[in-house]
Order: sequence, then structure tokens, then C-alpha cells
Amino acid sequence: MMSEVAQDEEKWLGAGIAGLQQNAFYMHRALDSNNLRDALKYSAQMLSELRTSRLSPHKYYELYMRAFDELRKLEMFFKEETRRGCSIVDLYELVQHAGNILPRLYLLCTVGSVYIKSKEAPAKDVLKDLVEMCRGIQHPVRGLFLRSYLSQVSRDKLPDIGSEYEGDADTVVDAVEFVLQNFTEMNKLWVRMQHQGPAREKEKREKERSELRDLVGKNLHVLSQIEGVDLEMYKETVLPRVLEQVVNCKDELAQYYLMDCIIQVFPDEYHLQTLETLLGAYPQLQPSVDVKTVLSQLMERLSNYAASSAEALPEFLQVEAFAKLNNAIGKVIEAQVDMPVAGAVTLYSSLLTFTLHVHPDRLDYVDQVLGACVKKLSGKGKLEDSRATKQIVALLSAPLEKYNDIMTALKLSNYPRVMEYLDNGTNKVMAVVIIQSIMKNNTCVSTADKVEALFELIKGLIKDLDGTFDDELDEEDFKEEQNSVARLIQMLYSDDPEEMFKIICTVRKHILTGGPKRLPFTAPPLVFSALKLVRRLQGQDENVVGEEALATPKKIFQFLNQIIEALSTVPTPELALRLYLQCAEAANDSDLEPVAYEFFTQAYILYEEEISDSKAQVTAIHLIIGTLQRMHVFGVENRDTLTHKATGYSAKLLKKPDQCRAVYACSHLFWVDDQDSVKDGERVLLCLKRALRIANAAQQMTNATRGGSGSVTLFVEILNKYLYFFEKGNPQVNIAAIQGLIELITTEMQSDTSTQDPAADAFFASTLRYIQFQKQKGGVIGEKYEPIKV
Amino acid sequence: MSSRRRMLLKVIILGDSGVGKTSLMNQYVNRKFSNQYKATIGADFLTKEVQFEDRLFTLQIWDTAGQERFQSLGVAFYRGADCCVLAYDVNVMKSFDNLNNWREEFLIQAAPSDPENFPFVVLGNKIDVDGGNSRVVSEKKAKAWCASKGNIPYFETSAKEGFNVEAAFECIAKNALKNEPEEEIYLPDTIDVAGGGRQQRSSGCEC
Repeated sequence: MMSEVAQDEEKWLGAGIAGLQQNAFYMHRALDSNNLRDALKYSAQMLSELRTSRLSPHKYYELYMRAFDELRKLEMFFKEETRRGCSIVDLYELVQHAGNILPRLYLLCTVGSVYIKSKEAPAKDVLKDLVEMCRGIQHPVRGLFLRSYLSQVSRDKLPDIGSEYEGDADTVVDAVEFVLQNFTEMNKLWVRMQHQGPAREKEKREKERSELRDLVGKNLHVLSQIEGVDLEMYKETVLPRVLEQVVNCKDELAQYYLMDCIIQVFPDEYHLQTLETLLGAYPQLQPSVDVKTVLSQLMERLSNYAASSAEALPEFLQVEAFAKLNNAIGKVIEAQVDMPVAGAVTLYSSLLTFTLHVHPDRLDYVDQVLGACVKKLSGKGKLEDSRATKQIVALLSAPLEKYNDIMTALKLSNYPRVMEYLDNGTNKVMAVVIIQSIMKNNTCVSTADKVEALFELIKGLIKDLDGTFDDELDEEDFKEEQNSVARLIQMLYSDDPEEMFKIICTVRKHILTGGPKRLPFTAPPLVFSALKLVRRLQGQDENVVGEEALATPKKIFQFLNQIIEALSTVPTPELALRLYLQCAEAANDSDLEPVAYEFFTQAYILYEEEISDSKAQVTAIHLIIGTLQRMHVFGVENRDTLTHKATGYSAKLLKKPDQCRAVYACSHLFWVDDQDSVKDGERVLLCLKRALRIANAAQQMTNATRGGSGSVTLFVEILNKYLYFFEKGNPQVNIAAIQGLIELITTEMQSDTSTQDPAADAFFASTLRYIQFQKQKGGVIGEKYEPIKV
Repeated sequence: MSSRRRMLLKVIILGDSGVGKTSLMNQYVNRKFSNQYKATIGADFLTKEVQFEDRLFTLQIWDTAGQERFQSLGVAFYRGADCCVLAYDVNVMKSFDNLNNWREEFLIQAAPSDPENFPFVVLGNKIDVDGGNSRVVSEKKAKAWCASKGNIPYFETSAKEGFNVEAAFECIAKNALKNEPEEEIYLPDTIDVAGGGRQQRSSGCEC
């Protein structure tokens, strides 16, 4: 649906076009018959359509373009006329007889263009005359379009250097003077427009003014295209004159737009060489002008320029661009008291980008910018404005991206101070950005001091800030964050064991503040990092380690004990148990019996006191058995105590099948292949027999509850254990026992009541196949298996 | 009358900011080039006389702002164009990708009566940069796109070195000339016997 106003406008435009076409038609006829008088009459009538006040700038432009095209034909006609002998001076006089001033001036400009081309008068005189005459139109829209017409038709006739219109009397100075004058007049018309008409239409007027802006700005484009405007002339004439207009017009829209135009239409070199003048204008602008955007655009342009060519860099240094920009920003922020924090941060962010591009080696500049930012932020508390925080993240990310190295950022004393002003959420985002940078670049953080600084920087992830805990926290986000911290811990490394130990201690200090939710994520990587260090120390000659050395395996194990203890109070006993066992194994490799024993004891205490879930118990007991089986450091006594306990735990599991499996697994605790001291065949057999009893009991229980016999799986599993020890030469495990077991299983399977269990059948069948296979092997093994009948 | 109309050929150059539209026009019309980047504001044209089959034509070449914020008055100047030049920078993929948008935008706004056959010419500019090492749009790719849009003539140019610019604009002029003029045949519905013109509708000041 078109609004009524828009419909009306379409109607007016339609009527305007119709009137224009009608008069153009008669004008064409007059042109075809070389009737100058009629041609002037109808063209003037045609141009009268541009006298309308009813069209918005957009629609007016459409009408104007049609008139513009028609005037090109008239212009050609004028050219032909002069070729036919008509005096251009006479023509110039003649068109001034048109009744209305607007058509008269359009015609005058059109003839004027031919006049200049004829070179019968100096270009500058004609231009001066035209630009003065145009003062006759003070209606803003009409005046702006008329002057834009003048600008367009004179565009290629300016006495620029090297132009055919340059002469003794005409110089580029005249060309510049002409454009500047036209610009000044247009800007005045444009600025004045806001004061015309009723106050209630202010918004509409602002919109219309905004549409008209390019007509004014185009003059600056024309200036920039004049070849004779060299740096000298730009510096001495063009820029001061343009800025004078911009500052004095005291109009927000004009100031914002024209500053942007100046930056965009003139070349970078000019800006660099006139930085002081240009920047000097900023604090003089109206307080409502969005200076930060324009200033940021300037810095962005200069940054790109610096990045584009290495040859440009010395220029930047020569003019002390950084100092000037820094100074200007300070002044602008000072002058615009009401500038929102986001605005100020945007400015600093642009300046930082500029610095990183232009002076990548000047870390002090970077720190200076951050420091200025801190100053602006101080006393404001945490930022809550989302735009401002976004800008700060950009500000803080820039050095990371540039240097690809967090170590550089850590050297910036103001870096953490800026982070202080972020709200907790953004602080975390920034911390993740930092960790990602480390990951991406494989940055080596290799001293405890650096680690300290780094963890201080990312403390948003390490602990609850301000003691508040956000209940709304997204579980997945939290995991993601903590996993990234875990990865970071793995990245910290020093070749020097002493330093490495210090790093580990520093990390511990920080992660212990993280509370029960974070420790399960952060403690394991630290434990493994410390274990890695232990392994490194094992490779070293004992003597190398001095007496006062901190990093001895013993000390590290002590340290580990504390960490895991903290974890067990979280409580995550299962995780703690795994870590204790891991440590026990490491202590075993370090030949530290008491330490290994201590870890086992801790694991057992946890098992007894904290792990109550039956499934968790099963997992835990198998871990314990597995680890204990591999230990070789223990003397008989310690080993007995531990295996005894493990067997005891196994027999006390909740479910019979679990008991059975754990008990037969315990058999391995008494028979270790590569340890001659651990070959107790009798106790192996005891375990297996006990497992059989439990299997029996399990089956009976199934019989009682389900009315049918249970699966034979457990028996087959035990049979396999028998075969294992038989093969390993355990004298207690003999043919008769194996034979008996096979028969037992066969009978069970054939009984009517047995439950169908294809998996168990297959398992048994393949076990028998194995026996068969071993028999056929011949040799020692074959002989050994020979007596077994299947 | 129509002979006078046909003496003027209107050409519009479109393309992303910084691809070298102004430089191409300046190189062709003035044989000048500047390395400095200067944004264009609004629309602006230069003219050049060209001889073709023993006739003299005036080529009216419209250079446009590539940055949208410097095109505040809209694109009424597209009207009556005889040929549209689409320029891109062979070193910037985005500027090539955007050709399609520029072409469609032009067809919508200028609304030529026969959009299928409206003459376009594509220019891949800045082939001189870094000895061609930084180019990201291959000639093959550009030609394939031109072929898919109804065999648009394609030229690789360097406004800086003046390479191929003359040839490109010759082709542009030739195609502009081939374009059937869309002269709106206007016949006045009433013959104004009195010859006094229409009533002035303007209100406000008498300028």
C-alpha cells in the first residue's frame, strides 16, 4: 500500500514528466527546423517543470534527469549554431530573456558550457559569472540541483593543469576557487533547509536532507579529481577552506557526512601529511556528531594504507601519526563528555588496530592505548553495555591476532586491567579467546611467572568471580569452557624440571580455588602433567638432582596426593580412585614402595568409604586388581595385605556373577609371569575353586527364581582361566580338573531345563576348538593337551 | 531529430568500491592514472568523442559510487543507458561475485524494454597487480560467467598501464550503438494552438 503522500507524489511526478515531455516535443521540432527562438521558448517552458516544490529529492532527481538529458540535445544544438556563425556571446545574452529565473539559469549554464568550450572568453570568467548568477536561486532543493547541474556541465571544462582550458589567465587556482565557491553555496543551502518549514515536519526534512547529501559531497569528489590539487594546494587551500565550512555550519548531519567525504575522497598521503589540521577539526564539531565513527573510518583507511605498501610506513613515522591520533582521540573524548563508553572504546579499538598495523614493534604504544582505555573505564565499574563489551573484546583480541602469541599480550601491563572491566560473561568469552589463541599457535608457556600471569588473566574460567555462582549457567557451555582450561594445562611446559614443578604448583594454587564443579575437569590434566614430570626425572641420573632440589619424585608424589585428596572431597571418589591407582603405578616405576603403598591405601579407603554404587564398585575392583597385578615394587608383606583385601572386596560384591568374575580375576594376583616371586599355584587354584562355587550358587539362584537353570557362561569363563594357568605351567591346575569342568558344562547344556544362550554355546564351542587346536600343534604344548578329551 | 539523439551514447560503469571504475574512465578519456584511492560520490560523467563508421559520436560515460552510502539520491541516472559496463578487480573474489548483483540491480532499476538483449560489457581490472600473482579470479571463470549471461563481451584490463582499455571501450561504444534506442515516442494529445504553454503550478517563490 502506498501512502497517500506517496500517491500524491507519484501524481505530481507524472504531471511534471508529462509537461516536460510535451515541451521537449516542441523543443525537438524547433531544433529540427533550426528555430532558435522557439527552441529557447520551449526549453524554458520545459525547465519550468523543475520549479515544483511538491517532490521529494528522489522524485525531483528523476524529473531533473529527464530535463538533463533533453538539455544535452539543446547543448549540441547550441554548438551547431555557433558553428553556423551564431555568436556565442549573443547566445549567452539571448537565453537570459527567459521569464523565470530557474529555467534561465539552466539555459545559461548550458550555453555557458558551450561558451567555455569555444574559448572565446577565459573559462574562469564564465565560471565565475555562472557560479555568481546561481545565487539567484535560494530555494534549497532547486538551488542544490541547479548548482549540481553547473558542477556537472563544467566538470570537464575546469582550467586544471594540463587541461586545454588552462591558460595564462586561467589556472588551477581558478578551478579550485570555482568548485570551492559552489561547494560553499551548496552547503549553505543544504544546512539552511532544516530551518525552513514547520517544526512538525522536521523528521521528513532530515530525511530529505540526507537524500540530498551527495549533491554537496560531490563537489569534494570534483576537487579530489582536479589534477592540479597537489599536496601543497590541498594543505594550503582546499582542506582549510573545506574544514572552515564544515566547522562553521554547526550542523550535525553536514559535519558528520562531510568529514566522512573528506576522508574517503582524498588520498591517504594527503591525510597523513595534514593529520594535524584534519584532526584539529574534530573537537570543534557539534557534540551530537558521531565523531567516533568518522575518526574510526580515518584510522581504518590509514591502517589499510599502511598494510598495503611497505613504502608508506616511513611516512607514518615521519609525521608521528600515532602520537597525533592518540592526542586527537584524547581531546575528542574530553570534549564530548556525553560520549557513551562504547564510543570511546570503539575509538581506542581503531587506534589499536592502527598501531598494530603501523607500529607492530611498538608494544609500548599498544600498552599506552590500553592504558588510556583503562583510564576512561575507571570509576565506571563493570560494563553492562553490550556494545561496549563487544568493542572491548575486539580491542583485546586484536593484539592476540596480530602477534599470534599470548606471551606478547602478557607483557602489556594494562591488558589485565582492561579485562577487569568486563562483566563475568564477557570475561569468560575473552578467556576462551585467549586459550584458543594459545592452542592455535601452539604457544609455549614455559615459566611459572608467565603461568601466574596467564591464570590471572583467565581467572573468569578458573573460579567464580565475586563469589557469585550463576545458576542459569548452561551445562554444556560450562563443560566446554572447563575442557578448554584442561587442554591449556596440558600445554604448559618447561624443559627445566625445577621450573616445570613450579608451573605445576602455580596451576594447583589456581585450580584449587575453582570449587567442586571445576576440579573434576582441571585436576586430572594437572595430575598427568605431574606424572609426566616424574617420568622425566626417572630418566635422569640421581646425582644430578641437587640436595635442595624441589622437583624430586617423592615431592611430586606428595603433591599429587594432596591434589587427589582435594578431588576426593568434591566428591568424585571414582575419579580420585583412578588417579590414585595411576599414581601408584607411577610410584612403582620409580621404585618407591612406601609411596605406592600409600596410594593404594588411599584408593582402598575411598573404595570402602565412598564408592557405594554396585556398578561403580565392579569397575573399581577390576581397576584395583589390574593395577595391583602390574606392581612389582611391593615386598611380600605389603603385597599380601593388598591382595588379601582385593580378594576380600571381590567376594563381597553385590551380585553373584560380579563376585565370580572378580574372584577369578584375583587369581592373577598370585601368578605373575615375569615375576618369579609371585607364582603361588595353590592360591591361584583356591581363587578358581572359589569362583566355581560362586558360579554354582549363582546358577542355583537363577534356578530358584526363574525355574530354569542359568547360563553356563560363567563356567566357560572359569574354564578359560583354568586353561590359561594350565598352559602357564601351574602345577595345581591339572587335566582332571579341566576334564571335570568340561563335562560339567556339557551336562548343564544338555539338561532340559537349561536356558538357551547362543552366545554361551558359541563361547564354549570355540573354547573346545582351541583345545583341539592346541592338541594338534604337537610339540610340548601338544603333548600337554593330549590327555584332555573333548 | 532522431539523428541528433543517436549522436549521444550513454554508458554506465558499475562495480564494487575500489575496483577502478573512475580509473578506467580517466584512463580512457584523459589517458591519466593515479595510484591513489579516491572514493567517488554520487554519479559523475565524462564525455569523449568517438568516430565510428565515419560518424562522430559523443560517448557519455557515467562513473558511479561503489560505496552505497555515497549514492543517496538513487539511480535515476541509469535511465536511457545504451550500455552497462560491469567492472571487478581480478584480485578480489567478492568484487567478481557481486557482478551478478550489479547486473540485476541495473536491469531492475533501468528497466530496459528487452533485458535479455541489453548490452553489458564486463571488465576484469587490475591485472597488473603483483605481476598477476595475487589474482584470484581466473580468466576462464570470468568468461564462463559472461557466457552464462548471454555471451557478455569480456576484457581484462589494467587502468594503470592502459592495457586493453581502449579496446574495451571501443567494444562498449559499438555495443551501445547496436542498442535500439528506447526513445519514448511522445505525441502531445492536444495541440497547443495558443502556444502559451501550460499553467504554472509552482507555488512559493517565483524562481
